[in-house]
Amino acid sequence: MTYPAIGIIVAVTVLLGGCAQPQSADEFRKSASGPSLSKVVTREVNRPLREVAATFRARAPECLNATVRRTLAGPSYHVVDVTYKPTVVVTDQRAELHVQMRHTRGVINVIQEPEGGFYVLIADVHPVDSKRSRIEIFGSSTGNDVMTRAIVGWATGKDLGCPDMAQVG
Amino acid sequence: MPGHGPGRVIRLQCIAVLLVGAGLLSGCSGLKTYPNDLPKNLQVRTEATSGSAFSSMRVALHIHQVDANCRTEYQGTVNLNEPSVGVGVPSGRMSYLVFTFSGSSFLGGTSSSTRYETLLQPRAGYTYDARARYKDGIYHVEIRENDPRRSAGREIERRGLADCGRPW
Repeated sequence: MTYPAIGIIVAVTVLLGGCAQPQSADEFRKSASGPSLSKVVTREVNRPLREVAATFRARAPECLNATVRRTLAGPSYHVVDVTYKPTVVVTDQRAELHVQMRHTRGVINVIQEPEGGFYVLIADVHPVDSKRSRIEIFGSSTGNDVMTRAIVGWATGKDLGCPDMAQVG
Repeated sequence: MPGHGPGRVIRLQCIAVLLVGAGLLSGCSGLKTYPNDLPKNLQVRTEATSGSAFSSMRVALHIHQVDANCRTEYQGTVNLNEPSVGVGVPSGRMSYLVFTFSGSSFLGGTSSSTRYETLLQPRAGYTYDARARYKDGIYHVEIRENDPRRSAGREIERRGLADCGRPW
C-alpha cells in the first residue's frame, strides 16, 4: 500500500470518527458536558417537579412536534425538511425532555442515526426540595437558544410560548 | 386623430400587460381577503417583534370553514397589521383559525413562517379575545371566551383538526 493511500485512509477514518453522533440520551449528555461545541444550561425554578413535568407534558408535544422546510437557493433550488420529535419521560425522581431531529427530505445520512433521530437537546429536571426544581439543558452552544429559552419559560411557568422551530439549528 | 398613434398604442399595451400581470400574481399567491362582514365577535390583539432592525415580522389570520365531515374550506385572510383587529367569525358553526407569523430578513434575503392552528366554534351572544404574540423567536396564541352576562371569561383550549367531531 502506498503512503498516499494510507494517508487517505487515515484521513477518512479520522473524519468519520469525528462525525460519530451520540446514539443515546446518555451519550448525548456526556458529549454536551465535554470539550465540544455543546453546553449545559442550569437553572433553579420555584416549582415542584410534578408541576414542571406536567407543563413539559402539555407544551412539548404541542410546540416541538414540527417539520421545518428550508429552501436553499442556488443554481437550482434545494429543499430540506427537518422533522423534530419531543419525548417526555417522567418518574418520581426526575423528568426528562428529549428533542430529536431527522432529515425527512433533501439529505442523505452517511452516519448512523439513533432511533428516533439525532439528539438536539435534552432537558433534565430534578427536585431540589418539595417546592423547587433544578433544570439542566444539554445542547449545542449555537442554534438552540430559542428552544432553551422556551423550555426555561415552561419550567418557570412564566412563559408557555412555543419556540419558532424555523430558528433552531 | 389626436391621441391615437403608435405612442398611445404602446402605452395601452403596457397598461394591459401590467393589469394582466397583477391579476396573475394575486391569483398565484392563493390568498384572498376575508370578507369580514359578520358582526365582530373576535377581537385579535397582536404583539409581534422580530427582535432585529434588519428583519420584519408579519402576522395574519387565515379563516377556514369546517363542515360536518371535518373538511376545511378556505374563506380568506385577515392581515393583523394593527394592534387590535375585529373579526367576524360565524357563530354556531366550526371554523379553523390559522395564525401565521412570517418573518423576513433584509440581509441575506431569508424568510420563514410559523403557524398556530386551532378550531373555534363561537357561541351566539359570546365574544372572544385572542392575543397573538411573537417576540425573540417565541410565539403564543391565547383565546378567551367572554360571557356578557358574567365578568369572568374562560380560556379556550387549543384544538387541532384531529379533534374535530369530538364533543366540546
